[in-house]
Amino acid sequence: MTEPVPEAPHSIGAFVRGYEEEQRLRGFRCPACGHVTATWGLACARCGHAGLAEFALGTTGRVVARTVIAVSADEFLNDTPYAYVVVELDGGGRATGWVPSIRAETDLPIGTRVRFRPSYKPGVQFEKEPA
Amino acid sequence: MREAWVVGAASNRFGKMAETAREAATRVGLEAIRSAGLEPKDIGYTFVANCFGISEHQAHVGPLINNGLGIPSVPSVSLESACSSSSAALHEAFVHVAGGFADAALVIGAERLSHLDTLAATSYFAIAADYPYETKNGATFPGLYATLASAYAAEYRTTPEMFGAIAIKNHANAARNPHAHFQKELSMSTYLASPMVAAPLRLYDCCPFSDGAAAVVVAAKEFVRSPATEPLVIRASARAGAVTDMHDRPDLLGLPSTRRAAELAFRQAHLAPKDVDFLEVHDCFTIAEALALEDLGFFPKGTAARESAEGVTARDGRLPVNPSGGLKAKGHPVSATGASQVVEIFEQVNGRATGREVPRTETALAHNVGATGGSCSVHIFSRR
Repeated sequence: MTEPVPEAPHSIGAFVRGYEEEQRLRGFRCPACGHVTATWGLACARCGHAGLAEFALGTTGRVVARTVIAVSADEFLNDTPYAYVVVELDGGGRATGWVPSIRAETDLPIGTRVRFRPSYKPGVQFEKEPA
Repeated sequence: MREAWVVGAASNRFGKMAETAREAATRVGLEAIRSAGLEPKDIGYTFVANCFGISEHQAHVGPLINNGLGIPSVPSVSLESACSSSSAALHEAFVHVAGGFADAALVIGAERLSHLDTLAATSYFAIAADYPYETKNGATFPGLYATLASAYAAEYRTTPEMFGAIAIKNHANAARNPHAHFQKELSMSTYLASPMVAAPLRLYDCCPFSDGAAAVVVAAKEFVRSPATEPLVIRASARAGAVTDMHDRPDLLGLPSTRRAAELAFRQAHLAPKDVDFLEVHDCFTIAEALALEDLGFFPKGTAARESAEGVTARDGRLPVNPSGGLKAKGHPVSATGASQVVEIFEQVNGRATGREVPRTETALAHNVGATGGSCSVHIFSRR
C-alpha cells in the first residue's frame, strides 16, 4: 500500500483571500523540522517531510532586505515608487510584501520594524510600525 | 557514456531583430550546422528554447524550425527554464549524445522582445518569479536582484563604484563584439548618473531587453568534421535547482543552485576553479556577476565586486570574465543567452573573437541562471 498523498492545509487562493479579506497571513509549519513558510506546498522545501501543518504567520516583523522599485510591472503601475520587502516575522518565518510611498532606500533601512496592513490594493502590504 | 563535443556554433547580432524568433532560430541553426561542416540531415534531435514565444503567438516552434531546415521528420522539443532555457537545451543535447540516443543534436535559443513595450516586457519577466507570492507583491525581475544586492551591500559594505566597474568592464568587452546589443563603452560618471530602476540597481546595472538567436551543435566524435574548426569537448554539463522565493532562502548572499551546479560540474570534469582560463557568467545585473564568481568558487564570499574593481576580471586580468560583454552589454535575449555563452567560448577558442581575445583558452566555463536562481546550468569545455 502506498501512503496517501497529504492534503495542504490551505490553497494558494486561500492564502490570497487571507490577506485580502480576512486580515491574516496564512502559512505552513513543518512538523518535522519546524520550518515556517508562507509558500504553498505538500512537503517541506527545507527537509522534504511530506505533510505540512497550518500556521498563523505573525503580522509584525523586521525588514531583512528591500529594494525601492521605480519601474514596476503592470499591477503596480500607479504605485511607484514603492519598496519590495522581505520581512522576518515575529513568531517565525519570513514573508514577502511591499511598502507603499517609499522613495529611497534611506526611507526604509534594513532592520526597520513593519506591520501587515490590510489594503484594497494587491499583495501583502506592510507599513512602518509607529515609533 | 561517450564524449560529446561542441562542433559548431553561431549567433546573430543581439538587439532588435526584424525577423521573428522562428526565422532567426532557423537561420542561426543552419549557420551553426554549416560551421560544423555538417548538413541538417546529420541532425538527430533539435532542442529549442523560446520561452516568450507565446508573446509572438507561437508555441511548439521546434517542428516549424525543423521544417524550415528541411528536416521535418527529426524530433524536436522546446524547453523552458527561464533565462537558462538554452543551457537546459544544451544539457539535453549533451545527455542525448553522451548517452548514445543521438549522434548530433542542434541546440537553438531564440527570443524576440522588441515588439513589447517596457511595461509589457517587465510584466512578462516578472512572471518567471513565484507569481502569487512574489510578483503579486510588486516584485520585478530587477527588483528581486536588487533585493539580493541590498543584502549583499549591507553585509559586505560594498560601494556603487564596485558594481559600476563590472558594468564598465562588460561594456568595454561588448564594444569589441559584433554580436553585442550595446557596442559602446560606459564611463563611471554615466553609470553613476543613470536613474534607479530598483534601488540599489541603476539602469546601467541592468541587462537590456534584447532580441537574439544563438545555436550550438553537439555531436559525437565521428561528427567532428570541419578541419577549419577547433571543436570543444564538453567536460561537464551540470544543472541544479534551489528554493525560488526570496522569503524562503536560507540566505540572500548567493544562489545555492549555482553552488550546487558548480560542485557537480567540477566533480564531473575532475577540475577545479584554478584550471579554468576564462568564464562566461550570468550577469543579468551587476550583482549577479559578483554572486556568480563567488558561488562558482572563484572568489571568497563578499570579495568579487572588490576584485572586479581592481581589474582582475578584465580581458587581460588574472581571470577574464564575460569577454563577450555578458548579458549586461552583449544583451539578454532570454532563451538565446545560454547558447550564446557557448558561441563566445567557441569563437575565443577558434581565434574568431577578434579584438577581444583572452590570453588563455584551454578550458572555459559557462554559467547560466534561470530567473533568480530556481535553475542553474554550469558547463565546462576544453580543447581536444
